[in-house]
Amino acid sequence: MDLELILMQLFSGLALGAILVMVALGLTIVFGMLGIVNFAHGALFMVGAYAGLWVAAQTGSFWWALLVAPIAIGVLGMAIERFLIRPLYGRSPDDPLLLTFGLGYVLVESVRITFGTDGIPFSAPEALQGVVDLGVGYFPLYRLFVVGVVALVLLLLWVALEKTRFGLIVRAGARDPLIMKVLGVDVGRLWLLVFGLGVGLTALGGVLAAPMRNVSPEMGTLVLAEAFVVTVIGGMGSLLGAVVAGLLVGIAVSMTALFAPEMATIVMFALMALILLVRPQGLFGRPGAGA
Amino acid sequence: MTAIMSVTDVGRSFGGFVALAGITAEFERNKVTAVIGPNGAGKSTFFNVLSGVLAPSTGSIRFKGQELKGLKQHRFAHLGIARSYQITNLFPHLSVEENVRVAAQALRTRYDILRHRESYPELPQKAEAALAQVGLLHRRGRRARDLAHGEQRALEIAIALVADPELLLLDEPTAGMGPEETKDMVALIERLAADRTILLVEHKMKMILGLSDRILVLHHGRLIADGTPAAVQSDPEVRRVYLGQNDGYA
Amino acid sequence: MMSTTELAAPGALPAHGPVSAGRALDRWRVPLTVAVLCVLPFVLPSQALAVNVLIYGLFTVGFNLLFGYTGLLSFGHAAFFGAGAYLTGMSIVHFGFGWLGAMLTGVVGASLLSAVIGALAIRTRGIYFCMVTLALAQLVYYLALQASGWTGGENGLRGFTVARAELIGGFSVNLLDPLQKYYFLMVFAALALWFVSRVLNSPFGAAIEAVRENETRARACGFDVERTKLLSFILSGALCGLAGTLSALHLSIVPLDALSVHTSSIVVMMTMLGGAGSFFGPFVGALVFLLIEDVASLWTSHWQLIVGIVFILFVLFMPKGIWGSLIALARREGRAPR
Repeated sequence: MDLELILMQLFSGLALGAILVMVALGLTIVFGMLGIVNFAHGALFMVGAYAGLWVAAQTGSFWWALLVAPIAIGVLGMAIERFLIRPLYGRSPDDPLLLTFGLGYVLVESVRITFGTDGIPFSAPEALQGVVDLGVGYFPLYRLFVVGVVALVLLLLWVALEKTRFGLIVRAGARDPLIMKVLGVDVGRLWLLVFGLGVGLTALGGVLAAPMRNVSPEMGTLVLAEAFVVTVIGGMGSLLGAVVAGLLVGIAVSMTALFAPEMATIVMFALMALILLVRPQGLFGRPGAGA
Repeated sequence: MTAIMSVTDVGRSFGGFVALAGITAEFERNKVTAVIGPNGAGKSTFFNVLSGVLAPSTGSIRFKGQELKGLKQHRFAHLGIARSYQITNLFPHLSVEENVRVAAQALRTRYDILRHRESYPELPQKAEAALAQVGLLHRRGRRARDLAHGEQRALEIAIALVADPELLLLDEPTAGMGPEETKDMVALIERLAADRTILLVEHKMKMILGLSDRILVLHHGRLIADGTPAAVQSDPEVRRVYLGQNDGYA
Repeated sequence: MMSTTELAAPGALPAHGPVSAGRALDRWRVPLTVAVLCVLPFVLPSQALAVNVLIYGLFTVGFNLLFGYTGLLSFGHAAFFGAGAYLTGMSIVHFGFGWLGAMLTGVVGASLLSAVIGALAIRTRGIYFCMVTLALAQLVYYLALQASGWTGGENGLRGFTVARAELIGGFSVNLLDPLQKYYFLMVFAALALWFVSRVLNSPFGAAIEAVRENETRARACGFDVERTKLLSFILSGALCGLAGTLSALHLSIVPLDALSVHTSSIVVMMTMLGGAGSFFGPFVGALVFLLIEDVASLWTSHWQLIVGIVFILFVLFMPKGIWGSLIALARREGRAPR
């Protein structure tokens, strides 16, 4: 086992983790603001991938797919918040969770009806095919591109949260919902936007992941579990936690695949169990805030 | 002059924020002690530390000679410490009687899965006695959430009372009550004080001055005064802290 | 007429119409449920449906103890159902156990697994809980997938048909006869129901109610909330394990799907359809779910779409489920103004 192979696998893990970061970030933003877990999050990831597939087929351009699909699915997310979740505010916190869980079923079946039950291959655009020399070995260009896009999105998100009024409100509101009343914020509109943003992020993850795996109606199930693992490890509601834990899990899975491929999926669940034992609130979670 | 609970140099901080620092006090048996202070003075933290909700960061709390620091919260009830909550905190869908009975059961049996819950005849008796004490017997069949606010406050006390605690912690027992209901509550507390130690947080000054044997004043997490109502009232430090505070102190 | 009044007398119930009807329903819930289960094979369109209602109903009863009565929503109960089924099958295939030994292995194994998963999951609160249970159940799923030498991996576990169950005294039950098999399995379900009813009536039943209603207050009253939750979790896991055991005996195979998220989801849906926190609701939920599946799959392969939509409508408009809403209606009618 030479060092180069390990370094290459590390990069692979980074690309895998980057996708997880997108999904977990969407989940945790929605939880932080609205206090609900979106069980349709994995299904919306999958819908994002299919939307990307469809847009790419219509326009012949991966770039349009990358831009249009997340926005379209984000708008779908807003519609979900407005018409399905909003009636449930004030009821048991389990209710929105159960509702989105049922919605996941509906989305998966709808995609099966529209696109068929078989997986569809989705190839990266010409410009992103091939490999680059990283000095330690050749690495698929597309994976490098994924890491780059996610880094860019994280930067934009950071600017939006740290430097704008919207970000100020989101951060304050996540800490203490009462503040928003004091600031005179229209909570309904804010929640709509935040839910749309969370869904848009996971859809973007779906489009980015599509060329790396087969696009299939079931692809969301494992992603949902993965996003849960990342969120528990990082700490619910912590954006930094989602980023760090996402990359950590990606790298852990990919390194395990190198040494014991059959343990690759299992290792992240084991990692989560370990975190629960030693630090139940997660790496960056506040004690008491859910643990 | 025997102390039932003694608090030595107790402090509690959250991250970098010190909510409570260096509190030392003793609570005598069968006395009413009030804890007052402006908002944010640390009263709630103090109460939560005394009832086991929060562990103290520093110091020691002894109850009847036993160290409480490090005990899990549910143990406090078994030792004879009960509390009520500032915001009404009941079992909303259970009946009034069930609310009190399940509280009584907590000290008797908790994991018995084979016997019938009716096979503890002393539980309904205890529940009945506690409800009679707070004057809620006529509401025993109602669901807790359907009670009027004042009745819910009374049920809150009954739940704490059914454990027959030696130390009763009351967190703003008259919060949100009108003058009539407040008067009833004061009379109730006076009756209860006959044979148990009571510690209460309150904002209504008039009530405290009439009811308490002793007053502790907290400010910025520190104990700035400790004495009889008369002594505390004339304390210059307390007057300074409360000056301009519209807490009904005048 | 005389006999009916005599029947009512020992209950010493206050005679106020619907209120006493509700109480009587509670008191007789086990015999009534078992009576319904007894006639099920004759009133349902197929005996296969009746067995499924029995098994999934019991699975839902176990889940409901945790969700409906203790207030903890788990999305990982397939782990216990699947563990019960797999361990039953594996102890026959690999160790040549008899049916009773295999069943015991299944139930005990599922209980131990639920103790481990429960102890981890209970370290978290609220909404975290369902995420952790889902993830840990996935761990079990992938472990079973990898340990294909023991479990048969993706193909499921096969080759352990129990044709005949020997009883004491030389009696035996022919498990190849659908009706004999149904009543054989039903005996265990009936025992489990009696057990659950006892637990609900016990002081522990009051403790889980208190935890569900108000965790903070329950703790202040002196309940060890974590331990109460864990015990409830284990009892729930054991019951779901029993359901899995029955399923293994019934099907003579264990599909890998028994451990999947889908199986965890089914039990959540059945509970919600029937009514969380009601005694008979789980069987109503199981029946309705399986009927939708049967009927809808006759004219479309996308029956899950219909299940999903029906489920969403229930969450939005009938969160108490079918049986739960009926009970609420009866109670409201019966509540005398005081």
